[in-house]
Amino acid sequence: MGESTPAIVVEDLYKRFGALEVLKGISLRAHEHEVISILGSSGSGKSTFLRCINLLETPESGKVYVQGELIRMRPKRGDRIVPEDLKQVERIRSKLAMVFQQFNLWAHMTVMENVIEAPLRVLKVPKAEALERGEQMLQKVGMYDRRDYYPAHLSGGQQQRAAIARALAMEPQVMLFDEPTSALDPELVGEVLKVMRGLAEEGRTMLVVTHEMDFAREVSSQVMFMHEGLVEEYGIPSEVFERPKSERFRQFMSGLLR
Amino acid sequence: MLEIVGPYIPLILKGTWVTIAVSLVSLAVACLLGLLGAWAKLSHSKLANTVAGAYTTLVRGVPDLVLMTIIFFGGQIGINSLVEAMGWDIYIEIDAFTAGVVSIGFIYGAYMTETFRGAILAVPKGQIEAAVACGMTRPTIFRRVLGPQMMRFALPSFGNNWLVLLKTTALVSVLGVQELVYNAFSAGRSTREMFTFMLVVCVIYLILTTISTTALRWAEHRYSVGVRRA
Repeated sequence: MGESTPAIVVEDLYKRFGALEVLKGISLRAHEHEVISILGSSGSGKSTFLRCINLLETPESGKVYVQGELIRMRPKRGDRIVPEDLKQVERIRSKLAMVFQQFNLWAHMTVMENVIEAPLRVLKVPKAEALERGEQMLQKVGMYDRRDYYPAHLSGGQQQRAAIARALAMEPQVMLFDEPTSALDPELVGEVLKVMRGLAEEGRTMLVVTHEMDFAREVSSQVMFMHEGLVEEYGIPSEVFERPKSERFRQFMSGLLR
Repeated sequence: MLEIVGPYIPLILKGTWVTIAVSLVSLAVACLLGLLGAWAKLSHSKLANTVAGAYTTLVRGVPDLVLMTIIFFGGQIGINSLVEAMGWDIYIEIDAFTAGVVSIGFIYGAYMTETFRGAILAVPKGQIEAAVACGMTRPTIFRRVLGPQMMRFALPSFGNNWLVLLKTTALVSVLGVQELVYNAFSAGRSTREMFTFMLVVCVIYLILTTISTTALRWAEHRYSVGVRRA
């Protein structure tokens, strides 16, 4: 036993939307403290892949292990599978915090209420402790002075930083980022990336679906490039960016540079 | 006018109280059926879709008074043949109040189904996904995220339904429930001052609806928290 249990293991994931095959057998292994950037053009299946890990989408087949624990699935009429035990799925979801492209802060709650909601209702943390932790997380993302604002009164960058604080408050084992900067105005991207770099430096385990090449190159420990539901390129950033093996990835890169 | 109405004030007040009771209990039944119906219409189960579809189609297509009478007499017969079939030797009598509440609740449950269905669909999907991704259970999601947010979308149509329901309770007088209209009719007949007593009924209904409208306006304000006003 030289190695610790990986934080996330995904084996041979398949997902179909009607006739469209979105994922055609994707596997991934993320160790603790790793930051894996998942790249790909739109429609490559990268967001769907991320959403299959916490079962926001149900895959057709494949296995997901979180800290060595398999999410148990059972077959349901035809070729579909469904979670065997919703309680297990809910428990595992509480260890995997997700940050969304559209922030998805709860609109009827203030920033602080957003941050303490899941610790209170899911982890059953006492209120005083949740507030204290919330305070720390909001300070970390630089949103403490806006704790009593409603999301509608914040800029996109502020909302996303608050959403990251909400994710952090769950003290997650792994953080899933689904294009966290894609909905932001260009001048607001920096403040969110800065927070994410900070998290990577703390040694958090992160899976990041993104279009930010600088972030992928400089921050991640592994880069995964997806194309039409398959992994086209995988490796450490210096290798992948300097000597890409796949022609698709080269095209993707030059397309971005243009 | 006071010497005509005066002696009947206790009777009218008693009727008013019954009207309020019938309305509130019916509303509770309607909300319960409405949530159930909305859930059934949005579920992936074909059976639930069909049952809910048949329910709303039936209620929307048949006059309230007819449905009410069918439920009152039909329900009576139905329950007793059921009891008989079970081999029990008892006769169950449904009182008019219960029959009235059940039928008005049943009818307005169908309208509430549409109200709630629309309101649930109006809540952005991402709000629910964020709650699911945290590991919240379905009841918690409903109580903490979906419920409070759908209120804002449901309230305008909910308010309309409530006002119409409040006025529809006058129909239960047909079943013999001694509510406001029933008692006012009795008073009107015995004094031969029907017009006067109908005016009194008008005023009382107006007071009830005005209170309702005020409460609804307050609720709409309360559930618009966090919404940016233009």
